[in-house]
Amino acid sequence: MIKTVNLTKVYRTDEVETTALNGVNIDIKEGEFVSVMGPSGCGKSTLLNVLGMIDNPTSGEYLFNGEEVGHLSERKRSNVRKHNLGFVFQSFNLIDELTVYENVELPMLYTKVPSSERKKRVEELLEGMNIMHRRNHFPQQLSGGQQQRVAVARAIVNKPKLILADEPTGNLDSANGDEVMKILADLNATGTTILMVTHSQYCAEFGNRIIRMLDGQVVTENVVKQYM
Amino acid sequence: MLTSLLKIAWRNIIRSKGFSFINIMGLAIGMASSMLIIMWIYSEVTYEDFHENKDRIYEAWNRASFSGKLQCWNTTPKILARTVEKDLPEVEQAVRVDWTSHFLFSVGDKRITEAGNIVDSNFLQVFTFPLLRGEPQTVLREHNSIVLTRSFSQTLFGNQDPVGQTVKIDNNQDFTVTGILAELPKNTRFEFDYLVPWSYKRSIGDDDSYWGNNSTRTYVELKPNASLASANEKMKVLKPRYQPEDSTWEMFLYPMGKWRLYSSFTDGQEDGGGRIAYVRWFGVIALFILLIACINFMNLSTARSERRAKEVGIRKVVGARKQGLISQFIGESILMSVIAGILALILVTLSLPGFNRLTDKTLQIDYSNPYFWMLFLGFVLFTGLLAGSYPAFFLSSFQPLKALKGVITNVNTLVTPRKMLVILQFTFGIILMICTIIVRQQINYAQQRETGYNKNNLIYHHFTGDIPKNYRLIKSELLSSGAASSVAITSAPITQSWSDGWGQEWEGKDPNDKTDFYRYNEEEDLGETVGLTFVQGRDFDLSQYPTDSTAMIINETALKVMKFDNPIGQIVKDNGEEWHIVGVIKDFILTSPYQPTSPMLIYGAKSWFYTLLIKLNHDRSTAENLKTAEGIFKKYNPEYPFDYQFVDEEYAQKFANEKRTGTLAGLFSALAILISCLGLFGLATYMAESRIKEIGIRKVLGASVVGLTSLLTKDFLKLVIVSFLLAAPLAWWAMHHWLQSYPYHTPIRWEVFVMTGLLSALIAVMTVGFQAIKAALTNPVGSIKNE
Repeated sequence: MIKTVNLTKVYRTDEVETTALNGVNIDIKEGEFVSVMGPSGCGKSTLLNVLGMIDNPTSGEYLFNGEEVGHLSERKRSNVRKHNLGFVFQSFNLIDELTVYENVELPMLYTKVPSSERKKRVEELLEGMNIMHRRNHFPQQLSGGQQQRVAVARAIVNKPKLILADEPTGNLDSANGDEVMKILADLNATGTTILMVTHSQYCAEFGNRIIRMLDGQVVTENVVKQYM
Repeated sequence: MLTSLLKIAWRNIIRSKGFSFINIMGLAIGMASSMLIIMWIYSEVTYEDFHENKDRIYEAWNRASFSGKLQCWNTTPKILARTVEKDLPEVEQAVRVDWTSHFLFSVGDKRITEAGNIVDSNFLQVFTFPLLRGEPQTVLREHNSIVLTRSFSQTLFGNQDPVGQTVKIDNNQDFTVTGILAELPKNTRFEFDYLVPWSYKRSIGDDDSYWGNNSTRTYVELKPNASLASANEKMKVLKPRYQPEDSTWEMFLYPMGKWRLYSSFTDGQEDGGGRIAYVRWFGVIALFILLIACINFMNLSTARSERRAKEVGIRKVVGARKQGLISQFIGESILMSVIAGILALILVTLSLPGFNRLTDKTLQIDYSNPYFWMLFLGFVLFTGLLAGSYPAFFLSSFQPLKALKGVITNVNTLVTPRKMLVILQFTFGIILMICTIIVRQQINYAQQRETGYNKNNLIYHHFTGDIPKNYRLIKSELLSSGAASSVAITSAPITQSWSDGWGQEWEGKDPNDKTDFYRYNEEEDLGETVGLTFVQGRDFDLSQYPTDSTAMIINETALKVMKFDNPIGQIVKDNGEEWHIVGVIKDFILTSPYQPTSPMLIYGAKSWFYTLLIKLNHDRSTAENLKTAEGIFKKYNPEYPFDYQFVDEEYAQKFANEKRTGTLAGLFSALAILISCLGLFGLATYMAESRIKEIGIRKVLGASVVGLTSLLTKDFLKLVIVSFLLAAPLAWWAMHHWLQSYPYHTPIRWEVFVMTGLLSALIAVMTVGFQAIKAALTNPVGSIKNE
């Protein structure tokens, strides 16, 4: 599903040049759950952003489903993104002015899903995540765990092929963190590919493969469990 | 999708109440000001718009050279109307309109003086003033017919049917009411409560066919599809044909659409002055005030962009495109401008009576007119687009990744669009402020100008009814009763010129000299009554010098023109009479206090009179004097009311137009500054919020409250200083230009600029200072923890 060849990302300011990704070659197959680990500043979030098409690589190739997408225009990237990808962030990134229901509904507004279908999907998901009773609340009125469940619901409401999660449990206590990890694992079990950046070994082991990064390069790839 | 966008817009408004209030109030005040000005402009540009044949109606004008200067004016010989009908095949018909008359109307016991016009009987066929009773073709056909406005007919006849009723005019002739007019619209130059046919003028011996007497206005209606150019070719040669000595004197037709706004001429050509200049200036002011309000919106929206950045980021990540986000943000600004528009409409409705008083208009909003609502909607949409466009492009252009991380713009860049917008706002506000002060200075300057006579305790009364017969008795009784200390009989009030002319002859006159002199008449005692200063000779005195009936007094400017070494005793020929000069007076202001005084000739008793000038006795109270005077007037002129005017009030009227301009400029500059300050306050609030951590750290490291306040205020002060530097030369240029239209004008003083600069800095410091002090006083413990 994902293949990168010599992927490089360099950030430039007036005086400093920072190489965030330095010749990354990875290969992720459909249905995998891959965790990316490494110390702060090793480039794991940059990798996630490039693979999530919200950032462009400086050089190298990025093939998504066999198609080169690393250097597409913003318009085309946006199109690929909204039909194929779902995002979960450490800081949840819910829109404060929208209710739980409206936040989850949002991606479907951009993919033009009919209203009755939207209602059905949002309710199913909220039900499944056990936050239906909070549907008319605003994000500030929810606990961190609840907010992250809403964020996950939003990420999967368009049935994406790939979910990109950036430290999804980083702002949660262990109980809530566990719950989110279980949801991700269940999603993976139903065939969704997951790429997750994390600091936590415990969380990383929910995946079937761990990629370790240092200074913008992949240093090791451990198979945790065989991908079925 | 739309509901989701509306919802988010509404929740944004509710969540940031302070910002929304500043935004919406600023927009509402700006929109209300612009709407008032637009209504004023509309009423100006639609003058005479209601006449059915407006595209074919013209006024006859003259263009002739005097003292080397081509001049244009619009009084014409009475014979012109019939001549153009005869000589110009392009002309459908022509109509004369005499100067406003103030006739006394008598119906039963009622005696009422009212203003109206003597007109040719086809007046209502040329001009569209709707008749409620009667036909335009016939109402003025009969010699003794009269047409009244509905309100005047009600004053005269109450609820009786007025048509067919008889009314006596000036205790002289009976007239039969033949037609009733609907009330006149306000946007017309005509102002009358009745129309009397021209035949009345003939019957009182006031008609003539002399080509040299420019004494009435002539309006011409051309035939449909007739060529104006070809009509004007024929107009050009009309005067020389009938008055061969005026071989270079041209006449021309001036279109109705230009009367109100464009009829200002220099050297024989339209000079772009006139009211159109005010219309343009006001248009610019309306646009700028709206722009200032929109800039507030732009600045506050972009300043708060960090709060919206996350939303933009998320929407982009889940698939929103830039265009979609642009429409979203523009939609929000339109929602704001709809709310502001409704508030503005309320503000306009509330302030309209005051604005009408200020502008001497009767503007009103026709709420039942669908066009009004369409225009209003258009205005709201325009404002929403203007205010929302820049924030929409700004916000929607965030990179999703940066937006999510909250990394957006560099606040400390030297030139940012936001700083430029603040500068634009303040530049405009300061320009208006300087202009207001200079306009006021110009008024004061002209008001303080020496009038050359004493206006105090001075009243005048026109000749009405029996006054021409009894004025000597009235004068002697006013003096003997002690009501007046001096009385003079003159041609016109001392504040007006009713006659002027050229062609006088004197010894040593340059044959090419065509100087135009003001003509004024007095019997005797004018010098004492109004307090003139004689530099040579004396006032008329008929008891001592009976030949003073053909004596003349000239002013100093006239003396300069006539170049007499010894003026006393010199002869001036005018109107077939020889006048001998007995006195020279210091110049006094007869007409405009902004113009240099013109040469003036005062003729003795062998001329005509129309006014009594009365110096009230200053040893008695004015009320007592007026009561005595009223009794005397009633005794000798019983049919007419005692209708006097104070000269000082009349003189003050000369400043009304400039005062109005000054007040409006003051009002709009105050509004512009207020709206700008609202925006500045909002920006300062935002700045204090976003720099709270920096302030905390500085405090911990030992910064004082004063130091911090000045740190926070300094940036804004810089912007105001830049604005001032831009505004000062622009304001100087505009005012220099404006003052040039007044030959007698104030110099532009540098103190005005210093004062305005300091004042605008003070206003800015006070606006920002409040937020800055509040931020500087915050306990640093809270703000530093706030990571």
